[in-house]
Amino acid sequence: MSTIRIELDRPRCEGHGLCEESASDLMHLDDEGELVLDVTEIDASDERTVAAARAAVRVCPVAALKLAS
Amino acid sequence: MKRIVITGYGAAGVTAGDTLRELGFDGEITIVGQEPSRPYSRPALSKALLADHRQHPDLSVLSLPEPMHGAQELLGRTATGLDLGRRVVRLDDGDELPFDGLFIASGARARRFTGSADELTLRSLEDALELRRRLSTRPQTLVLGGGALGMEVASGAHALGCEVSIVHRGVPMSRQMGPVLGSVCAREAQTAGTALIDDVAIAVRQGDSGLEVELASGQRLRPELLVTAIGDEPNVEWLETSGLLEEGRLVVDEKGLVTPEIAAGGDVAWMRKGQWMRRQPLWMYAIDQSRAAATALLQGDAAPAYEPKPYFWTEQFGLHLRMAGPPAEGQPEVVEGAVDTTQMLLRWPAERSSDGRGTAVAVNHRMPVPRLRRLAAAVDG
Repeated sequence: MSTIRIELDRPRCEGHGLCEESASDLMHLDDEGELVLDVTEIDASDERTVAAARAAVRVCPVAALKLAS
Repeated sequence: MKRIVITGYGAAGVTAGDTLRELGFDGEITIVGQEPSRPYSRPALSKALLADHRQHPDLSVLSLPEPMHGAQELLGRTATGLDLGRRVVRLDDGDELPFDGLFIASGARARRFTGSADELTLRSLEDALELRRRLSTRPQTLVLGGGALGMEVASGAHALGCEVSIVHRGVPMSRQMGPVLGSVCAREAQTAGTALIDDVAIAVRQGDSGLEVELASGQRLRPELLVTAIGDEPNVEWLETSGLLEEGRLVVDEKGLVTPEIAAGGDVAWMRKGQWMRRQPLWMYAIDQSRAAATALLQGDAAPAYEPKPYFWTEQFGLHLRMAGPPAEGQPEVVEGAVDTTQMLLRWPAERSSDGRGTAVAVNHRMPVPRLRRLAAAVDG
């Protein structure tokens, strides 16, 4: 199974939390507003999950998230 | 649909392209982008990039994720005409791009008074680098317009050590965030030493020693550096003879469609909803609305209407402001902190908010959007 990794550039993250709105199954912000990646590797063939991850990456206003295969 | 052309390659254009693929469109996509580079994060131009005081700034703050659309990209090119009968987009070099579906994301440009290179605006990466270059000699700077862009530019110029004045009629930022927060922004700008001039520029002229700004009051100003931030103008000239415009406006329906084969998203589009029409030239809206419009282009009537989820943020004069919901009038409920400090969490309940869903604002308070939205929507008691 080929996987896609979700990567977070933590110093860059400002805790806007728009990613959580796009992919709440994959990530959330904790009480301090720090992003927690609940899932870091996703199945590349799982189209729904990949689409959610991409939406989360795209909506980040400070480009703190990226996907790597 | 086999061939889709996207005119414009900012946040709206790239979102449209990626969305088409996510929904399974496997035909040909061609994207025409005016700028020489792929899309980047425009909000960062007046925030992170302006705050980076090094001579060679870290441009990675602008990076967006790699597009997934696999489109043919025509960069540095502009659409100059649209022939609906023949279904072709004409380009500046005379080429024609035939299409079955068209996504218009041609964006907007900065409004300005003159064509002078000394009147700076901030819209593109090129503009931002030029502004940084000019600010590096710490000129006495005049900013026309106290909206988010003008205030962010003023804040950046101030942080670099420039003496800064802002011309704005009324309370800065109040259109974006309401009068209460506008006053907080104005207070912090003034505390920092920035001069707020409650007036409006009516003309800018080339004088013997640089540009001269005339205000409505008759006052004349001759700044060492002039930055105009008085809004934007949609790029619709290329559509003028297409028959697509309504009184000069490109109007889309609630899904983002102009016709069944033509969608539009981002700064160029006016969305009609019931009795009113609105254009929201903000990055977040460009992404959300383009996703909805691209969906409508493929799925037509089956596609859902676009539901705006208002979110706005700005950084200026030591304030990081985040707002969920529309700008609200009246006094807020103070959830934490205090309005006369620089840290606060405010809430306008649904009945006092213009969209009936409530508004919540965090100032220098690290509150994520989902929680801010829940706070906005919370029922009293």
